[in-house]
Amino acid sequence: MANLSGSVSTRSVSHKGQAGRIIGRILIYIVLIFGALVAIFPFFWMISTSLMSLGETINRQLVPRVPQFQNFVQAWSTAKFGEYFINSVLVTVGTLAGLLVTSILAGYAFGRIEFKGRDLIFGLFLATMMMPESVTWIPNFLMIRGAIVPLPGGTWLNTYWALTVPFIANAFSIFLLKQFFSQVPKDLWDAARIDGCDHTRFLVQIVLPISKAPIMTVLLFGFTASWNAFTWPLLVTTNDTWRPMMVGLWTFVQEAGPQTHLLMAGAVISLLPILVIYFITQKQFTEGIATTGLKG
Amino acid sequence: MARTTSPLGESTKPQRGIKWLKQREQRTGFLYILPAFIIIFLFGLFPIVYSFYMSMFNWRVRRGSFVGLGHYFDIFGDLTGFLMFLAGIGLFVLAYNVWNKAFRSVKAGGFPARLLASVILIAGGFVLTSGWGRMIAAGNSNFLNSLIITLYYALGTVPLEIILGMVLAYILFQNIKGKEIFRMIYFLPYITPTVSTAVVFQIIFSSRETSIANMVVGFFGMDPLKWRFEPNPVSELLGLNLQGFLAGPSLALVTIILFGIWTYVGYNAVIFLAGLGNIPQEVYEAAEIDGANRFHMFRYITMPLLSPVTFYLSLVAFIGTFKAFNHIYVLRVPSAQDSVITASIRIFDSFYKANMYGVATSQAIVLFLVILGLTLVQNKIMGERVFYG
Repeated sequence: MANLSGSVSTRSVSHKGQAGRIIGRILIYIVLIFGALVAIFPFFWMISTSLMSLGETINRQLVPRVPQFQNFVQAWSTAKFGEYFINSVLVTVGTLAGLLVTSILAGYAFGRIEFKGRDLIFGLFLATMMMPESVTWIPNFLMIRGAIVPLPGGTWLNTYWALTVPFIANAFSIFLLKQFFSQVPKDLWDAARIDGCDHTRFLVQIVLPISKAPIMTVLLFGFTASWNAFTWPLLVTTNDTWRPMMVGLWTFVQEAGPQTHLLMAGAVISLLPILVIYFITQKQFTEGIATTGLKG
Repeated sequence: MARTTSPLGESTKPQRGIKWLKQREQRTGFLYILPAFIIIFLFGLFPIVYSFYMSMFNWRVRRGSFVGLGHYFDIFGDLTGFLMFLAGIGLFVLAYNVWNKAFRSVKAGGFPARLLASVILIAGGFVLTSGWGRMIAAGNSNFLNSLIITLYYALGTVPLEIILGMVLAYILFQNIKGKEIFRMIYFLPYITPTVSTAVVFQIIFSSRETSIANMVVGFFGMDPLKWRFEPNPVSELLGLNLQGFLAGPSLALVTIILFGIWTYVGYNAVIFLAGLGNIPQEVYEAAEIDGANRFHMFRYITMPLLSPVTFYLSLVAFIGTFKAFNHIYVLRVPSAQDSVITASIRIFDSFYKANMYGVATSQAIVLFLVILGLTLVQNKIMGERVFYG
C-alpha cells in the first residue's frame, strides 16, 4: 500500500514538473524569438524600404506593394554607390594583402625566434591596442598630409595609400598569430633544422599549412575592420576619387535627405559583402571571435 | 652538446658557431618584425608622443606659439579644484581598501572598519564633487561635460549589454532547437557596419509621429517623443525634477545607448556561450546530487566560473564606450546640443570643425589618461573579485 501511494505521488509530481518544464520551455523560446526579432528587424526594414517607391517611403509603409528592383540600379549608378563599392573592394584587398604579410612574419618572430628586445617591442605593440582612435587621428592626419615626414608624391590625401598603408599592420593580428605559432611543437623545428631548413622555409612549408584557422580569423577580422572603416576615410577623402562605401553612404545621408529608398538600397549594397562572407564562414567567424575573446 | 665529447682543439669552433647562429637569429627576428614595426611605430606609437608635443602649442593647422601645459590648465581651470578632485579619487581608493580589510577580518572590528570606510567614502564624494564644481566653473566646461556624457554613455550601455548577453547565452546553452540560427542572428548587428545600420536607426528613431519608435511608445499609451532630437534628460520627461549629474542622460543619448546595446549584446552572448561551454559538466552533476536547484546552480556555479569572461567583457566594453566614436557620431543631430557630445566627439569637433589642433590633442591626451586610469582601477577591483578556476 505504502509503496503504491508513494509511486502515485512521485508520478503526480513528475507530471506537475513536466507541465512546468513545458511552460518554461515556451517562455524560453518567447524570449529567444523576441531577441532575434529585435536583432533582425532593422535589416528587414532596410531591405523592405530599399524596394519601395519614393511615395511608399514617405507614407512609412512596412512592405512595398510591388518590389522596385530598379532602385538598386539607380543607387549603383546615379548615386555612385557602384564607384564607392569598387573603391572599398580595392582598399580592403590591398589592406588584407599587406596585413597578412606583416602579421605572419611578426607573429612568427615573436612566437618562435629569440632576439633581444623581443618582449619589450611586443609589449609596445600591445599597448597600441588600448589607445583611443582620437589620440592618433591628428598626428596621423598630418603625417598623411606630408606635414611631418616628406612623403613620395607630396601629400597622400585622397590617395589609395592613405586608406591602406596605416592599416597593413596591427597588434591584434600579430598577437593572434603569435599565440598559435608559439604552440607549434619545438620538435618539428628541430627536425626541420637538421634537414637544413631555415626560418623562412620552415614558416612557409611547415607552419603556414597547419595555420589555416588562425590566418582565416585574421583575414575575417581584417576584412570587417577595413570594410566597415568610417572615421579615418572620412578624414582623408575629400573627393570621390577614393571615397569608400561607408563615407559614400554618409555623404549621401547628408546631401540627399528625402531619397530614403535609394539610401536604403545603398545600405543594403554596403552590407552585402559582409553578409555573404559571414554566412559562408559563419562557424569559423563566431568561433574565431569567441576563442580570441576567451583568451584575452 | 658536442663540446663535451669533441677533442680539445675543436672546442672553440662550435662556440663561435653558436654565437654566429645567435647573431643570425637576432637578425632574422628583426627582419621579420621590421615591416610591422615600421607601420605600428609610425601610425600607432609615434602619434602618442607627437600628440603630446602638439598639445603644447597653439596649433591651428600650422604650428603657432609655444604654450607649455597651458591647454591642460585651460581644461582643468582651477588647480585647487583639480587637486581636490584627485584627492577625492584617492579617498575612494582608501575607502575601498578599508572596506576590503573589513571583509577579510569579519570578526575583529568588522563593523567599525565598515563605518570608517563609509565615512571616508562620503568625504571622498564631497571633496570630489566640490573639486569638480570648481573645475567646471573655471575650466573648459564643454570638454569636462563631455566626460560626464561619456560616463553616462558607459554606465547606460555596459551593464545592460553584459546582463542581456549573459541571459541570452544562458538560455541558448540549454538544449535549444535552432541554437545555431539564433546565435547567427544575434551576432549579426556586431559585424555589420555602423554607418549602414545607423541609417536605419535614424529613421526608426526619428521625431515624426509615424516613426516606428513612436508607434511603439504609442502602443503603451504615451505621447510621441523627439528621440534623437531631444536634448532634455529622460528624468525630466518622466516628470522628475533632478539636478546636475543625477538628472541623467538626455533622451537623445538614450537613443544612442539603445543603438550601442543593440550592437553589442550578440557579441557578448557569443563569448559568454563559449565560456559556458568551458565549465565542466561534472560540477553541475555534483551540485544536483547535493540537491541544488537551478537558481543555486546559476548563482554559485555558473556566475563564479564565468567571472573571468564577465571581467574581460566588461573591461573591453567599458574602455570601448570611452573610446566610442562612430555610434555616437552617426546618430547625433545639432538639436540634441551638448547632451550627446562625448569626449571623443568633442575632440573630433575641436580638430575637424574648429581646426584647433593644439587644443584637440590636449583633450585627446586627457581622454587617454582617463582610459589608462580606468583600466588600472578596473583591473585592481575586478582582479580581486574574479574567480579563476
